[in-house]
Amino acid sequence: MLAGGSAMGALLTPAPWRLIKDASLLSETWPGVPRPKTGTVATRFTNCSLCTAGCAVRARCIGKQPVQLAGVAGHPLSHGALCAYGIAGHHLPYHPDRLKSGAAEEAMAAVSGTIAKCVAGERVAVLDLRPGRTHSWTYRRAMNAVRNGLYLTPERQWRSDSAVDLGAAKVVLSFGTPLLDSWGTPGNVIAARENFRLIQAEAVESRTASMADLWLPVRPGSENALALRIANRLLDSGANSKDLPAGFRERVQMAESVDTGIADEQIRAVAGHLSSGGPALVLAASGSPDILALNLLIGAKGRTIVGRRETPVPEQWKNAAPETELSTVPDGSLRVLLIDESAPGEYVPWSSIERKLAPAAVVVAFAWSRDGYGRHASCVLPTAVYPESLDDVPAAVDSVTAAFRLSTPLMEARAGVVNPAEFVGKLGGVDAAGALRERADAIAKSGRGSVFTYADGKSAPVKQMKSDDFWKALNEGACWMDDRDAKAPLPALHFRERAASPVAIAEERGAAALVSPLMSKVYEESRLRLGKRGVALHPSSGLADGARAMLETDCGRMEVNVTLDSSVPPNVVQAAAGSELSDLCGPSAWAKVVRI
Amino acid sequence: MTKAARYGMSIDVDRCNGCGACMVACAVENNIPPAHAGANDRKGITWIRVYKVDNGKEYPEKRSAFVPVLCQHCGNEAPCVHVCPQQAVDVDPATGIVEQMAERCLGCRYCMAACPYHARYFNWWDPAWPAGMEQTLNPDVAPRMRGVVEKCNLCHGRRHAAREQAAAAGVPKAEPVEYVPACVEACPTGAIQFGDLNAPQSAPALAASSGAFRLLEKLGTDPKIYYQSKKPWVREMANAPRPGARKEQQHG
Amino acid sequence: MIRGRVLFVAGMAVTLAAGWAAFPRAIYRRSAQPVNFSHKVHTEKAGQSCEDCHSFREDGSFTGIPSLDKCASCHAAPMGTTAVEKEFIDKYVTPQREPEWRSYAEQPENVWFPHAIHVKRARMKCEACHGNQGTTDTPRVFERDRIGGYPRTTVHAGMPIPLGMNDCVECHRAQGLNHSCLDCHK
Repeated sequence: MLAGGSAMGALLTPAPWRLIKDASLLSETWPGVPRPKTGTVATRFTNCSLCTAGCAVRARCIGKQPVQLAGVAGHPLSHGALCAYGIAGHHLPYHPDRLKSGAAEEAMAAVSGTIAKCVAGERVAVLDLRPGRTHSWTYRRAMNAVRNGLYLTPERQWRSDSAVDLGAAKVVLSFGTPLLDSWGTPGNVIAARENFRLIQAEAVESRTASMADLWLPVRPGSENALALRIANRLLDSGANSKDLPAGFRERVQMAESVDTGIADEQIRAVAGHLSSGGPALVLAASGSPDILALNLLIGAKGRTIVGRRETPVPEQWKNAAPETELSTVPDGSLRVLLIDESAPGEYVPWSSIERKLAPAAVVVAFAWSRDGYGRHASCVLPTAVYPESLDDVPAAVDSVTAAFRLSTPLMEARAGVVNPAEFVGKLGGVDAAGALRERADAIAKSGRGSVFTYADGKSAPVKQMKSDDFWKALNEGACWMDDRDAKAPLPALHFRERAASPVAIAEERGAAALVSPLMSKVYEESRLRLGKRGVALHPSSGLADGARAMLETDCGRMEVNVTLDSSVPPNVVQAAAGSELSDLCGPSAWAKVVRI
Repeated sequence: MTKAARYGMSIDVDRCNGCGACMVACAVENNIPPAHAGANDRKGITWIRVYKVDNGKEYPEKRSAFVPVLCQHCGNEAPCVHVCPQQAVDVDPATGIVEQMAERCLGCRYCMAACPYHARYFNWWDPAWPAGMEQTLNPDVAPRMRGVVEKCNLCHGRRHAAREQAAAAGVPKAEPVEYVPACVEACPTGAIQFGDLNAPQSAPALAASSGAFRLLEKLGTDPKIYYQSKKPWVREMANAPRPGARKEQQHG
Repeated sequence: MIRGRVLFVAGMAVTLAAGWAAFPRAIYRRSAQPVNFSHKVHTEKAGQSCEDCHSFREDGSFTGIPSLDKCASCHAAPMGTTAVEKEFIDKYVTPQREPEWRSYAEQPENVWFPHAIHVKRARMKCEACHGNQGTTDTPRVFERDRIGGYPRTTVHAGMPIPLGMNDCVECHRAQGLNHSCLDCHK
């Protein structure tokens, strides 16, 4: 009875009803779910430094924390576009793979000590994966001051003195260049797309191939031969044949007997488009000289490939080490190598670097994560990551004028990061901290160009600005663009010996060293892109979709995940670019995929 | 009373290059966490998802296209609204948006079975961000706990911000506000356009009246997302002929 | 039998007392505000109105409880002689630390309440939802439901009560407003 009375009494109180309601309300305030931070919303501007497109960024920030990134509409180069990587860029500082600490003092001691002990023939070098920045000049000046100093760059197809003018092109023939998939400045390519006919010559039906006006499914390995056969048609119709690479005509004759997978009439039609379709341009992902030579035959120089002045540089900096390509350095001559991986660019396979190292070389990599050269270097030092880092972005390949834009930090870098420019600057007695301001002042002094400011969307000539105001504008979100120089010298097209294109074709080029963990949406959860260690094979390969397999090349092997895709021809492996894959495939002409 | 809007989209499949910027922008806007270790093709959360489709031919006649698919915001006969035992989904008569309420959802996933577009996603796990990354969350959208279904709400967080700004600026009546969803803002080619289908000059309205097609039209769901393409095989694929249908047609 | 009835009534009495008197105390966890802030002093002596501290930003969002720089703009140095003010300056202004104010009007994360629409368009008075906060000399004790998480938002007919969804819906219905779920939820 006591229990009965208690129960009756309890039911007549608010207690049980309240407890039921509260239990359901608990799901609203479930402690397992984080609550977003609130606060004053501020809009800040910067430029993205994940690639050389340097797209303008409008950041929505809560206090000092960016919570959303978007493009800046009306920007003359990026036209408001921001790619998937850039949209999630604000996640990078919190990436779990981010390097947190490194022994900077020990590294400095080891490097200076080794420099002092260098003998004749041994060099000290900085390898800059994104040349053309102000930090690049700091490295060049420092290496000029250091005895035996060298400033190295990877092999580059396009140097800073020449650019591609997509806006002037009416016909573009691309051999494997992912023109519509993160090439150049995406916003610029999209804006120019309506104006030209795109012919994509590529073995794989890539994104660019599927959206091109014409896709030439060239037999893998015969891209050069296809180019030479097109060249033959152009020569037949009287194209200008000055300055062709050595042995070109002989190779043209030999190419006639190669099966390229493309019919003769098609080749003739393409040659016709190139010669009479208006200003034309030929691009080659592999940089093959025979393909690029087509540009000479179609008169691209001065029309779709233009000369570009360099962004002004303070006079006193001109005493700097020249840009030297890594491949031209004698093997075994580098005693100290400092690799700046903090501004991601194309990954140079480690084997190309390793052969240049002297025995007992000291290699220090400056990087965001251990995944790149950190796997090979003696020591890796953590750097600030976008959007914490302050750097300038050199003009992209499709920017017809020089450009200077600061990627101003949107948040503070965490303690313990090392600034590679300051590290190297110290070695050579160069003040790295003031370099960006000095460069901006040199631009202001030159009176060249104009500044597009993002907050108000206006453009003003630099001539009318004081250098303090110019610097302030750059820091608050702006882009300096040079005037077009009608008298710029025509660029030389650089020809060099190139290894045959490997059978393994990278899907994306120059992806950032770290991508936001959110990119799982684009990789794992939707299979829209190949994830890390992903390869795509034709269904006839005999492997199952989603199977694990081994990718074997001359250089080693790596476990991969297989996706079946009939956009890839039989006997071709398509793989996502990455440092591990580049090390495996770099100089290797073939790859084999074996079921595990 | 304010004029009712019917927010919709037009998506030009020929312009979509499959870059996935819309997917990432949607995830950033709506506080969707990075994939759990167990997530795969079918357990991930992609409120907008770009599918690669093709013309069914063999290499080298194969041609691909990319189709972004999100909640189609069906008209008054939305299948998910019919089946929900909790009334956790409803069509808003003022905007036409099919609104998914994670707060009411009990996680039976009946709506996921009912949706013919597979545009609904279940939170198999509590959301978890790498240490510190919770600071990047968007305060305009509430994160969801595990056990509930979620889907595109045409960026209600941005619609709220637009309404708040309009009120603060002294706009007298709550007109259908103008705002831009995250995927539309992010799309670099401008393939996705957003607008009020009731406004005759909006991009979706123009698309609707000029031969755009919708996915699975024969089901009668009356979706508000219109697709455009010049490629006949893309149109055909939108009607999802049954496998083997081509063979059957050869007989008749 | 009589013993049975007595037990029954005793049981009832005990649970009724517990349910009506003890339970409301127990279900709420009480805490004090970090600073013994007096609205009365600021409205009467300093002649301020609600909007001076609780204002709208340019983008239409509401500042809510002001941040430290609002207080510090006047109280960088003591303006009066009270110990409370001195403690405030020593503990918060000088070390630049935000006071951990507890918001009576706190709602779960999935609720969207736009002050701009309610204040500027509907012209509601602050007291309608926040009660007599603005006239008190000390802040009301902060009480939060231990399970559901709702704070006791306002005072209605002498009783402090939490404001939940039904209270909002009642008012919206009375005004004849359309209200679909995402109008108020995030």
